Amino acid sequence: MCKRLISTALVGLVALALLPAGGGAQSSAPIKIGVIEPLSGPVAASGNYVRMGAEIARDWVNARGGVNGRKIELQIEDNKSDPKEAASAAEKLIVRDKVPAIMGAWGSSMTLAAMPKLEEYGVPMVVETSSAASVTKRGNPWVFRISPPSEMEALGLEQYVDKLGVKKVDFLAVNTDWGRGSIQAFGDMLRRKGVQVGAAEFMEQSATDMNAQLTKIKQTGGDTLFLTTAVEQITLVLKQGQEQRLARKIVTTGGSSSPTQLIKQAGAAAEGSYHIVFFMPWFPEAMPDGRLAKAFVDEWTKRGNPFEGLTEGFRGHDGIATIVEAVKLAGRDEPKAIQEALWKVSITGVNGPIKFEKDGPAGKESGQSKPSIFIVQVRDGKVALPDFLKK
Amino acid sequence: MEQLLQHLVNGLVLGGTYALLGIGLTLIFGLMSVVNFAHGEFYTLGAYAAFAALALAGLPFFAALLAAIAAGALLGALCERTLLRPLRGHSIDTIMLVMIGVWIAMQNAELLAWGGVARSIPHPFPTAPLTLGPLNIAPLRLFVVLTAAALIGLAWLLIQKTRLGTAMRATFQDRDTAALMGVPIGKIHTVTFAFGSALAAAAGALLGPVFLAYPSMGDLASLKAFSVVILGGLGNLAGATLGGLLLGVAEELGAGYVSSGYRDAVGFVAIILVLLFRPAGLFARAERIG
Amino acid sequence: MIARAAVALGAVAAVAAPLWVANPYHLHVLIMAGIFTILALSLNLLLGYTGQLSLGHAAFFGIGAYTSALLALRLSWSFWLALPAAALASGLAGWAIGRLALKLRGAYFVLVTISFAGVISLVSINWMDLTNGPLGLPGVPPPTLGPWTLRTKTAYWYLVLAGAALSYLVCHRLVTSRIGRALVALRDNEPLAESVGIDGTRYLVLAAVISAAMAGVAGSLYAHYTRFVSPEVFLFSYTVTMVIMVIAGGQGTLAGPVVGALLFTALPEALREAVAWQWQMLAYGVVLVLFVFFLPRGLVPALAAWRRR
Repeated sequence: MCKRLISTALVGLVALALLPAGGGAQSSAPIKIGVIEPLSGPVAASGNYVRMGAEIARDWVNARGGVNGRKIELQIEDNKSDPKEAASAAEKLIVRDKVPAIMGAWGSSMTLAAMPKLEEYGVPMVVETSSAASVTKRGNPWVFRISPPSEMEALGLEQYVDKLGVKKVDFLAVNTDWGRGSIQAFGDMLRRKGVQVGAAEFMEQSATDMNAQLTKIKQTGGDTLFLTTAVEQITLVLKQGQEQRLARKIVTTGGSSSPTQLIKQAGAAAEGSYHIVFFMPWFPEAMPDGRLAKAFVDEWTKRGNPFEGLTEGFRGHDGIATIVEAVKLAGRDEPKAIQEALWKVSITGVNGPIKFEKDGPAGKESGQSKPSIFIVQVRDGKVALPDFLKK
Repeated sequence: MEQLLQHLVNGLVLGGTYALLGIGLTLIFGLMSVVNFAHGEFYTLGAYAAFAALALAGLPFFAALLAAIAAGALLGALCERTLLRPLRGHSIDTIMLVMIGVWIAMQNAELLAWGGVARSIPHPFPTAPLTLGPLNIAPLRLFVVLTAAALIGLAWLLIQKTRLGTAMRATFQDRDTAALMGVPIGKIHTVTFAFGSALAAAAGALLGPVFLAYPSMGDLASLKAFSVVILGGLGNLAGATLGGLLLGVAEELGAGYVSSGYRDAVGFVAIILVLLFRPAGLFARAERIG
Repeated sequence: MIARAAVALGAVAAVAAPLWVANPYHLHVLIMAGIFTILALSLNLLLGYTGQLSLGHAAFFGIGAYTSALLALRLSWSFWLALPAAALASGLAGWAIGRLALKLRGAYFVLVTISFAGVISLVSINWMDLTNGPLGLPGVPPPTLGPWTLRTKTAYWYLVLAGAALSYLVCHRLVTSRIGRALVALRDNEPLAESVGIDGTRYLVLAAVISAAMAGVAGSLYAHYTRFVSPEVFLFSYTVTMVIMVIAGGQGTLAGPVVGALLFTALPEALREAVAWQWQMLAYGVVLVLFVFFLPRGLVPALAAWRRR
């Protein structure tokens, strides 16, 4: 009896999946925007922060009356930190939910896996986090990125290299496209400035013990360590570096370092470290649109979201804001029109101005915006502007 | 030379924790023949229990450790009673599949309950490392190694010297005879699973403060635990201990001298080589149980 | 009788799929199910028929995917050459595993397969010059047949269907042949089988080679469908999924893996539909536990027993 019940339930579940999707859109029906993020798996925290930022953007837009008289709705999918799932999620959003635009998919390999679907169906996607250069160089005209590729990040740091007093540098990065891309980009930039490059070590994404790598780095005689990985591993590296008495300048790249969380979890080990970030929630007034940034921080805190998530959450807001502006300019929620409108978007998000330039092979360019890049430092257990910037 | 010594020390500390994970699993996998893919999840459970005790309830460190062990034992016993006992007699693959389901369910329940953000577990030890000549070791890590050794010793005592331990060994050597001798088979199974899970939870509570607590921390732990168990010989406590230490050292040396990217590969290659030349594990000649 | 009718109905439904399937997304799910059917069948050869569990099966899948992708991208090989090459490469890897593990059985064999998969996975991440490491290989070309490009889902569905049917046929022939009977004899009682002259190791290696080659074919099909290959193909979760499909479907049967693949490809997608994202994976785990609890021998054997009653 029980067996039949369970079996029937399972069959029912499968049948549910095969049901045709719901009815067509009416002119007052909400505009659906697809969101693909890693909401489970090893980077679930980051994916959820982006989602929280997107939800704030959605609520603000709806509070102001929506777009073209219609409210917006977010259709959120989990890519489970797996490229195959990212592609499936994109397919489902486009075909079943009929979204006219998507934001996603956080990690570069997930974004790259979803990109062929964009071309297949002709739906634009705003890329909010991925940093691999190839995302905008593959000749996919449906891709619009608001996050900086590693090369752009390195250029953003170039002006401070002398002030930092860097003579010999070592790299420690997570063994993903992001970490490797970062080492490449920053290595090239530093070499151009005459800085010596020592060791380049890697750590697996799930690794917790970096003592071997740190022991090796200690031997190179460098004065600075560039670190590219997620905040959990940065915490571990800082703590283990302290245990090994690795006395070096630390510079983290990639914008995911969440200095607030570092201070909480690494304590004294984080003191003095520099961090490249794309949002400074500690002094939002210093951002290009100070009022918007402050309002975002306040709303985020009001919702009880963790403060340390702000350095990533803003991406969700800016991504949705970009899509909404494009829908407004297009006048309708049709994918091709939105894609054309994205080229005309010129707004200021939490990070700064968002305006797309052509990037990639001629005739099939993707859009790449030039985000603002900042550098902060941990001093006296708090986040502050770097000592060399204080006048 | 100093580098080598530091690598060795790091490796031994790491290996001590692998050993702790291994002896819990060698009881469950080696004795009960349960392919427990959820073993790493009990490790995670221990870490989160310690976090809850220390950061939320403000209990002292040893109390938190006990809380973690209790949580592991209780949930392990529950698992055995509700899932494993009814399925006893079914193929080893069926049981493996159930534990895979438990693994997925537990990890995602933890994700739901605690969120994906890693938690830092506070501990009472000073952060400044102890320096012995050219070597550095953090007081916390030293404590972890010593506690792990103590727990391993206690486990060995339990298995070898108590009536319960004798009953356990008897059950898994020859179940029918043990039953005839009056050993309560069902209870022994429950106790063994609970004990193995409690050890995993203890490992989690000890390592949690060293690293961080996050929902997917158990995946790698499971894999390492299986490697240690098989290397050391199924059901062999001493083997699991030595196997754990060796794996830790091999990984550290590999990462230090070969390549940090291929760190885990060194462990894998070592395992393949060992099994090529000693197909029954490193300590095949040692007694099968204990 | 009923079984034959069900199979015939299933075959007709499969061939006519692009007509009655509600939308391209469902066809996408079916294509993935087809690829996983080949994978499940291949794992079943080892697990169900030799009784040896390979927990590194994703390695053969990944080797096939990378081989096919690299040959097509770097050497401009046609898909129709890259696919057999992928099968060959994976088959070779299967042979290596078989030879390496020739003295090992049970848990030791499992560990070697896990370690092997681990090494291959790390090589794919670190050997940047060959595999482009974590950046992956985007832009893998779809297969071409004369003047047509098999880019549409319908065309690809027939390709995958053909692959799955072929795999099923190979398994069927193998299992009902002398070799198959030898494998079953080894699985049920190895010392006894050896005593009548069956060389355990030789047959295990043979099963490993065929199993691996089949997984390689699935890998190639996957690479040219998703057109992006990255080290994530070696994820342990793929192996776990295959294991679930084989055991829950019914190991040691031929229909089991097929049913298991269909069910467990559809299930996560059904959960995506039915359940909010926070609860999806938790629900999946719970469903799996319940499934095993009520159908411990797998779905196909349970259906067979139910019918016999």
